[in-house]
Amino acid sequence: MEHTSFGDQRNATFSLNEEDHTLANALRFTLNQDPRVMFCGYSIPHPSEARVNIRVQTTGDPAREVLKDACQELMQMCQHVRTTLDNAVADFKKESSRR
Amino acid sequence: MDGAWYQRFPKIKIREMKDDYVKFELRETDASMANALRRVILVEVPTIAIDLVEIKANTSVLSDEFIAHRLGLIPLTSERAMNMRFSRDCDACDGDGQCEFCSVEFHLRAKCMTDQTLDVTSKDLISSDHTVVPVDFSGSTGFDSSEQRGITIVKLRQGQELRLRAIARKGIGKDHAKWSPAATVTFMYEPEIHINEDLMESLTLDEKISFVESSPTKVFDIDPRTHQVTVVDAEAYTYDEEVLKKAESMGKPGLVEIYPKEDSFIFTVESTGVFKASQLVLNAIDILKQKLDAVRLSQDTAEVDDQFGELEAHMRGG
Repeated sequence: MEHTSFGDQRNATFSLNEEDHTLANALRFTLNQDPRVMFCGYSIPHPSEARVNIRVQTTGDPAREVLKDACQELMQMCQHVRTTLDNAVADFKKESSRR
Repeated sequence: MDGAWYQRFPKIKIREMKDDYVKFELRETDASMANALRRVILVEVPTIAIDLVEIKANTSVLSDEFIAHRLGLIPLTSERAMNMRFSRDCDACDGDGQCEFCSVEFHLRAKCMTDQTLDVTSKDLISSDHTVVPVDFSGSTGFDSSEQRGITIVKLRQGQELRLRAIARKGIGKDHAKWSPAATVTFMYEPEIHINEDLMESLTLDEKISFVESSPTKVFDIDPRTHQVTVVDAEAYTYDEEVLKKAESMGKPGLVEIYPKEDSFIFTVESTGVFKASQLVLNAIDILKQKLDAVRLSQDTAEVDDQFGELEAHMRGG
């Protein structure tokens, strides 16, 4: 759910249902690494309600595209972690069976 | 499209790995990523646990709901969980959430015939699917024979009986802790310890010994031949600042400097036995990717923009 003003696509607040710090903090970090982002932060309006507001303000690109790219980036990072972990497990098993 | 993106490629090295325990280092990533992984491992990895119990006969000393609660907490091997559907999403069953695709059925029949107390344990649960069974804890340590009998559910006296049918479903730890696959997940920052050699030389041997002993965990040690203080186990440091306070009280405040490395974490994951510990971490990464996918794709539904467009126009009086 995106709350944005009519003409200005650069600044928007995204309201995600059924999410919490797990996703929001990681997304916030990834967004801050993007040079197109002027401001990025998240807040949880009430702890009893599973909702997160992520605010993104960019230098020109539509905020929605920047958020999508950040998700993509984070997914690639997860994939990298996964393959690295797979290789590390295989290496460890080889090492311990050799010993 | 990405412009001058600063790509981070985290590195992982496994320190120790057993069936239910893994300790690994995660480097070159941010604390938010490490914390997201920890949170997902704890509450968002789906497992299978008993969720519905039909009691046919119960003459034991524990009440029906007491026994049902204990049954729910029994860990079940959940390799199937990642491919299973949630009962609420299942369209194959006729609404009662008990079909073979979304649930596993268990039976338990126990009656005490002898005058010895009968221990009803998790090993007495008979599953309809041989891949989903109560976790077998015997054989790992095995020095105590009481561990081989499974988790005790209830004890029966002569004449007491327990007969029930239980349905196990897929769930996540967020809903109820019985579905959490992890016993503990922790991560700590890797410490970087610098000893100021010049200041250290100015201490007597007794002062060095008292300094080394002021740390609650064994971080430093003294080489018996050269009388040098060295770091023996940097990771035993628990970020209590006892050694720093001791250095100050001895009048040498810059004696040792300890910083946490901001992008280096040491993860310890202990599983309850439902998955292997390494499998648990892999599943957690997959779940994190699924959540990101959901956010990315949901951005394509833009119906709210129109609502707010009209509201804006109305409020502007147009």
